[in-house]
Amino acid sequence: MSNKMVVNFTSWIKSAAGISITISILVAVFAAINSGPYLIVNTVVTGGMLALVATGLTLMLGVLNIAMFAHGEFFMIGSLTAYYVFTPISEFISENPESFVAVIGPLIAIVCAAIMGAISGVVAEKLVFGPLRKRSTDNWVMNSFLLTVGLSVLLVNLHQLIFGADFKGIVGYWSGMPISIADVFISRDRAMAFVISVVIVAMFWFFMTYTRTGMSIRAVSQDITGAQIVGIDIEKIVLLTISLACALSAVAGGSLLFMYPSYPTVGLEPLYLAWFVVILSGLGNILGAVAGAFMVALLKAITVEYIGAGWDFVIPSALIMLVLIFKPSGIFGSDVRGALDK
Amino acid sequence: MDTTTAHQQMNPFDKLLDKLCLTPAGLLGLILLFALPYIPPFNQEYMLRWLIYCGFIAAMSVGFDLTAGYISIVNFGYAAVSGFGGYTSALLVINLGLSPWIAMAAGGMTAGVLGLMIGMISLRLRGIFAACLSWFFGLAIMGLATKMVWLTRGPSGLRTPRLFETDSNVPFYFLIIILLYLIYLACKWVVRSKMGLAFQAIGQNMDAARTSGINPVYYRVFNFTMSCAIAGVLGGYYAHFYGILTPDIMHTGKTVEVLAIAYIGGRGSLWGGAVIAFPFIFIMEIIRSSLSNLPGLNLIIYALVLILVMIYYPGGFSYFYDTNIRKVKNKALRYFFNGRA
Repeated sequence: MSNKMVVNFTSWIKSAAGISITISILVAVFAAINSGPYLIVNTVVTGGMLALVATGLTLMLGVLNIAMFAHGEFFMIGSLTAYYVFTPISEFISENPESFVAVIGPLIAIVCAAIMGAISGVVAEKLVFGPLRKRSTDNWVMNSFLLTVGLSVLLVNLHQLIFGADFKGIVGYWSGMPISIADVFISRDRAMAFVISVVIVAMFWFFMTYTRTGMSIRAVSQDITGAQIVGIDIEKIVLLTISLACALSAVAGGSLLFMYPSYPTVGLEPLYLAWFVVILSGLGNILGAVAGAFMVALLKAITVEYIGAGWDFVIPSALIMLVLIFKPSGIFGSDVRGALDK
Repeated sequence: MDTTTAHQQMNPFDKLLDKLCLTPAGLLGLILLFALPYIPPFNQEYMLRWLIYCGFIAAMSVGFDLTAGYISIVNFGYAAVSGFGGYTSALLVINLGLSPWIAMAAGGMTAGVLGLMIGMISLRLRGIFAACLSWFFGLAIMGLATKMVWLTRGPSGLRTPRLFETDSNVPFYFLIIILLYLIYLACKWVVRSKMGLAFQAIGQNMDAARTSGINPVYYRVFNFTMSCAIAGVLGGYYAHFYGILTPDIMHTGKTVEVLAIAYIGGRGSLWGGAVIAFPFIFIMEIIRSSLSNLPGLNLIIYALVLILVMIYYPGGFSYFYDTNIRKVKNKALRYFFNGRA
């Protein structure tokens, strides 16, 4: 029994997933020793949020076969909603700082962001993707991809037209002393952002693995016709998936408002990074996307630390291109070629 | 249709038109474009600047359509490749003192080499993966152009000498129209030959194409190289027209602009994007300048048109033209829209 486990473990270590995870852990440890643990804190916080955006993206890819280019815009919608919800709340808090609103208020803003993201996802499905799905069957992946490109331009410029192009940011969600863990000071906002992302990813994983609805989402992602035969309502699953994916992205936007103030093109950076994650970890693989998110975050943090700010697109994109060339299915992906190849 | 007898009966004018890949309507349009700088509302300098931008996007969309419409790969880093050609050209002029004309050709060549590289490394990939790869490639090049400040002066912009030493925009306008036509002609000749057939076969079903003896490696790489070389020459033109070059020319937004025009014009037609760019971009510029208190309105209309076309009329303008306008009953009009071929 234990022998079998050892064999399994060694074969996992030899696989692409094992090698890359081991290397990234080693690199993380080395970087932490070399330049201080704050690097790990940064990695973990951005990685957690990136995991939310990337799981949404990978969900869209796996279930709906939509290569989403507008996912960053839902991040923007989330941060915008959180800003407009939290501004009156923060005024209230500054008047009576002792009330329970100081603890609950930010959570309300983030929940509103999630709800708004889900609603806008449903609206996008009803107005944009639904009509296309009814009308076109061939070349769906490419057509829907171009459609999301249009959607992205539309949302960015609507933001600019209605709310203006200036930065809409807040000082912070939770005031108070930073938490100190082993000589590292972590601001409460960052700690809470990490906690939120962990809770949501865990809940999401539980939902996808153990509930009936989650199972039917996975069934649809594996085989639409088969899922229809066993009586799954495709329409409903599609709507649910799109709203979930957009809500995940909006939550990330809402809870990172203290780091990324809301402005029209705020979504571009999370979008690029989430695409890096998705290509790195293979399409439609949720747990892989979580692991990939931390790897990309680590890569970004290390590039900024050792090479300099501004190189954080050059180095990661070069590495991701290498992954695409040598292992097009991603490091956690299987070699099955699906609809996305067309 | 018996094409051989039709070819024998053609008079020299029709034969010439056929060689030049134009219909009588197309010829008239081209003459109109050449006359445009002398027609009253368009002879002002700021209008000419807009028209030059229209011509630039039109020519880009022709080159873009060669990849997107024929081998069905969306080159999402197209603007970055074009910017790469532009930077090469500008740096050659500034540092080596070359003439801008030679530098433009050199920019086209280096961009072609870049296209060769993208084509080679994206060979194993299809559809969305190839689009992603070219996108990441574009992001990396843009990052490099932004960060290599010692060479490109980064976001503050590189001052470049202009092609003609006049303040007038007219020679630039004629040049971009000639470039647009030459690019169209080159693409059309390639597409009309056996190679175009191979492109379409690869674009529609790669495995079937491979089974029938087409080597996708050669055709795909050739297509990428040619389309990127076109982008490079145009990037050089852009650099030597505006006189200032920033990494913004490589932004994904620029690719989206070209992509939208190519798709609204109709994919796989080559001329669709070129025709639609002039009225469309011109109207967008009018909206942008006259409603400057509503920033972004022109891009909203842009995006809405793209979305509506993608959903309800995926064939774009060229499909509309082919199905409705070309099929008129009147014989003279039919000749006018179709030519003799």
